[in-house]
Amino acid sequence: MNELSIKELFRFEKTPLNLLIAILTVGLLGIFVAGATYYFIHGHHAFNVTRQHPWGLLIAMYVFFVVSSTGLCIISSIGHVFEVKEFQVIGKRAIAGAIITLLSGFAVIALEVGHPVRMLIYNVLTPGFTSAIWWMGTLYGIYLVFITFEFFFLTIKENHKWAKIFGIGGLLAGLAAHSNLGAVFGFLISRPTANGVFYPVYFILSAMITGCYLIYIIYGFKYKNSYPANIKAMLLKLNKILGMLLGILIFFEAWKIITALYGTMPERAETILHVIKSPTFIFGEVILGMLIPFIVILFSNAKAIKPMVYVSLAGMVGIFFMRYDLVHDTLIYPMDTLKRSEYQLPPTFIEYFPSATEFAIGFGGIGITLLLFYIAEKVFNLDVDTKH
Amino acid sequence: MARYGMALDYKNCINCRACETACKAENGILPGKDNYRIWIGQKEAEGEWPNISIVSQTYHPSQCQHCDNAPCQQVCPTNATYYDENRVVRVDPERCILCTYCINACPYDARYVDDRTVTVDKCNFCSDTRLANGETTTACQATCPTKVRTFGDLDDPNSEISQLLKTREYKQVKEHLGTKPKLFYLI
Ligand code: SF4
Ligand code: SF4
Repeated sequence: MNELSIKELFRFEKTPLNLLIAILTVGLLGIFVAGATYYFIHGHHAFNVTRQHPWGLLIAMYVFFVVSSTGLCIISSIGHVFEVKEFQVIGKRAIAGAIITLLSGFAVIALEVGHPVRMLIYNVLTPGFTSAIWWMGTLYGIYLVFITFEFFFLTIKENHKWAKIFGIGGLLAGLAAHSNLGAVFGFLISRPTANGVFYPVYFILSAMITGCYLIYIIYGFKYKNSYPANIKAMLLKLNKILGMLLGILIFFEAWKIITALYGTMPERAETILHVIKSPTFIFGEVILGMLIPFIVILFSNAKAIKPMVYVSLAGMVGIFFMRYDLVHDTLIYPMDTLKRSEYQLPPTFIEYFPSATEFAIGFGGIGITLLLFYIAEKVFNLDVDTKH
Repeated sequence: MARYGMALDYKNCINCRACETACKAENGILPGKDNYRIWIGQKEAEGEWPNISIVSQTYHPSQCQHCDNAPCQQVCPTNATYYDENRVVRVDPERCILCTYCINACPYDARYVDDRTVTVDKCNFCSDTRLANGETTTACQATCPTKVRTFGDLDDPNSEISQLLKTREYKQVKEHLGTKPKLFYLI
């Protein structure tokens, strides 16, 4: 841990980029607080969610944050759990990132769930063991404990044996928690597009991709694109891993779409047809989230480091749209239960656009991530010690 | 101890919506377009004059199906959704955390958020307002002018509903999902 005074906490190099990030952080925190305040006054009516579209942007942002956390945890485990040498440099920073993004996710979900305190009480008193949300929440709690101890033994009281033990525990809990989050959607028998094995597996895959993007962004920002040899070696390896993961994801997505369209079962095929024609899918998920990064890696023979930092920013925008669409696409097909033309209107795809409060809380959560990261960089030494 | 269900002679429905009104009054449902426990689904007549299909125009009264294998109950993280002693699917507002997972999981769009308790609400076969007082009918049933609805104990072979289901053909909604719904549409 570093010695820290209040003055030191606020001191940073005043480069234009740093200033921009500082303003962004303060701005995002501001809108988070504003959004939260508005929500406390108006309750759920501050959100644009409805009976037919009960989940919205906040669930998507929660998934976005915890995907980031799990992804960072998995990628960092390549180094300190599986002992691949090049990846040992990212251990501390990635685990700090995993804790921070998870906490940001919890901050957002606490404002989405109507009664978060009651949740903590009755999750213990009357647990619903058949509920994927129960398992997901409980496992993420366990995961947080593990990775916090792991961070403690990596940074504060250095002990590699214990760090590894908690690292393995954190990795397993994280994988279990995150695939359960996929199962929250995968278990929905009422929603044919979500129901099935796809989401639990896809969540882990896309978490790993998110982890790679975040490592590029974090290290790109930290070293301003001039990297020491050990970091460069790691980022080069990461290029190959990311390329392979993206290839698998594209393959998965393609087959998901083809199987959904095949046979034209209305609830599944019509929904997917609607989805693949939407701009959030084409521009967000496919172009930003998958194609651009994949093409850059492909044409640079997996040697692109500088471009990958920028491409990863685009990739994260794509990842956001993947989360948003995941929630929205699951819910757009109307529950056609003898309401064929309720009140004389034929059923159409359900529409949803987030309210200003949802935007403020959801995107404001990124401000929490940036702030906590800044503090963590100040308080802890997140670089690998040269003596190791 | 009973296992309550409802048979609906839906072709007798004249779309007067007395049941919707009675339900709102009985259970104090707040105004708002999302706030309803029961509804009448309508299907307009198909075809162009003179080939209009009269049989295609139907009115389908519907509500929570009180599934015997309820997805909403399975997904509830705090067991706030539970089967009561009459196998009526109920929500305990003390335990509901408003995660709205059940609203996503219900294949019948039967649930909504009640603004008084800020928890999830839905049809409970008038358990609080009528069954608890020893009554044996629901408000929607009692008010229906064409006697579409028959409410009763499916486990009692002599109940009116059991007799009806023995003598009339019926269909159910989204049975293939394995939810074992307890609304029966008499054909
Ligand atoms: S109809 Fe919906 S709310 Fe009612 S018991 Fe079945 S799943 Fe639950
Ligand atoms: S909203 Fe309430 S009743 Fe529904 S699943 Fe969540 S806790 Fe259970």
